[in-house]
Amino acid sequence: MTDKNCHAAEIQAVVLARELQDSEMGAAGASAAIPMAAIMLARRTHAPNIQIAGEMFVNPRPKRLWNSMLDDRALGSCEAAETFLELFGHSHRGLDFFFHNGMQIDQYGNINLHFIGGSIDKPKMRGPGAANISYAGTSKRFYICTHAHSTRTFVPKVDFITSPGYLDGPESFGKAGLKGGPRLCVTPLAVMEFEPETLRMRLKSVHPWSSVEDVVTNTGFELLIPENVPVTELPTAEELRILREDVDTLGILRNA
Amino acid sequence: MSARKEKLIQPSALPTLIGDWLSDGDLLALGGLFKQGRPCALVREVIRSGRTGLKLVSSPGSGFDVDLMIAAGCVAETFLPAVTLEDRMCPSFRNAVETGTVHAHCVDALSVVGGLLASANGVPFQPVVAWKGSDVPKHNPLVANITCPFTGDALFATKAIKPKLTLLHAQEADCYGNIRHLTTMTYADQMMARASERVIVSVDRIVSTEDIVARSRETSIPCTYVDAVVEIPYGAHPTGSFPLYSIDEEHIADYASAAEAKRRGKEGGPEALQNYLQRHVFGTLDNGTYLVSVGGEPHLRQLEKEAEDL
Repeated sequence: MTDKNCHAAEIQAVVLARELQDSEMGAAGASAAIPMAAIMLARRTHAPNIQIAGEMFVNPRPKRLWNSMLDDRALGSCEAAETFLELFGHSHRGLDFFFHNGMQIDQYGNINLHFIGGSIDKPKMRGPGAANISYAGTSKRFYICTHAHSTRTFVPKVDFITSPGYLDGPESFGKAGLKGGPRLCVTPLAVMEFEPETLRMRLKSVHPWSSVEDVVTNTGFELLIPENVPVTELPTAEELRILREDVDTLGILRNA
Repeated sequence: MSARKEKLIQPSALPTLIGDWLSDGDLLALGGLFKQGRPCALVREVIRSGRTGLKLVSSPGSGFDVDLMIAAGCVAETFLPAVTLEDRMCPSFRNAVETGTVHAHCVDALSVVGGLLASANGVPFQPVVAWKGSDVPKHNPLVANITCPFTGDALFATKAIKPKLTLLHAQEADCYGNIRHLTTMTYADQMMARASERVIVSVDRIVSTEDIVARSRETSIPCTYVDAVVEIPYGAHPTGSFPLYSIDEEHIADYASAAEAKRRGKEGGPEALQNYLQRHVFGTLDNGTYLVSVGGEPHLRQLEKEAEDL
């Protein structure tokens, strides 16, 4: 999935970077090369004062992108290091933004990282589970960013809610006392948003190498499709230059 | 008046200590996070001890060492929030849970950290408010619903976790067991040391007590929480011990390929995993032999250089 301009993971990073506002505080999560690239790009363009905190390393200065973004290789150079003691301090306050990936994602943006098929005690397929599940419910917003867009990933109902999206819609979301919720879902094929009335996933734009038909075929639930679906705005030459020359110098996104 | 007792032990004393302090079926806590600061040499010692039916707890992120213990048949239950090699899943963990030989309890970071915190503070549980909407607390054996005695609000309690033994790896310590992490992060190591009945720490090098006293604010775990300290250079390998040496991604990938081949039932898979265990765990009774088995001096220099260049 590429065209002469950019690769899928690069367009995902650029879409996410443009979402982040100057002076906001957030974190990328574990195994999150695309979200960290988005934060690094935003810091180097429109949002130089983004604060990174909530995942032990406070305002790290990664020299380059790494596949795993939660150790000293990427984040060792930072303003402060916290321990897991501070997990409680951040969890109840929440962040301005956070990122999640999922083995299964449904039309309300609920995320499953625990199991597919069977039960939690007797799973057919056991996933990695998740460390911090509280940010989905306490942060102002979060973004879903996936490495795949298929009917296996995008299912009508997740087998297990690891991190909540909008649950079964507005009523259950409100009743559970959740705030924020998923803002966008960014995949290698498209950008999806959540329709404000029903909180169901709605196609926002398709990447240049994809089409509405492609996205519909590869989504296992009924996606809301507006009358006009634009092509995802491509990275500018400057965004791509910074991404390649300054952020992702080894081409982790280009080779994803 | 007798001299102050040293906690420094020789590596050869480890089998006896582990025999005395850890029984089959006990709860064992492992320090570090994902691929950094994991007590891998001590884990290999536990595997060689032949312990079975162990319950495992760790900081919220685990991977290689936990998968290795499962591959060797030491583990019955896990209380581990995220189990992953980050760029791929943990094959032995996945296989064992799917075939029912290991029970992976449904826990998250707040329940494990909260449980360790409660144990460290000597209280039966830690209150938690930040769970909403997730299925995890509903299936989490550590979690119960409670009412706030002051406001009457509904909230959660997460049960104290008291490991029988905690294994940690740090960079430096003195002979009395004052531990100094040189890493940027200390994970949940300090909390686990305070929560556990017994604590064994491996360090890359022993320093003098004068050196510890000169920089006392950097002592990450005071000797009072430590039962034994042992000098094992590169004792975190193949995980990283920053700033001394980086993560041996290649070694971890080779292990994962063997474990994945077994999980998929590929021809030669079980043998490949057995070979790994024989070559790097059962066949390497001392650390020097182990280090040669993973590539020796030139390879270790490379990992040191990667850490230096960060």
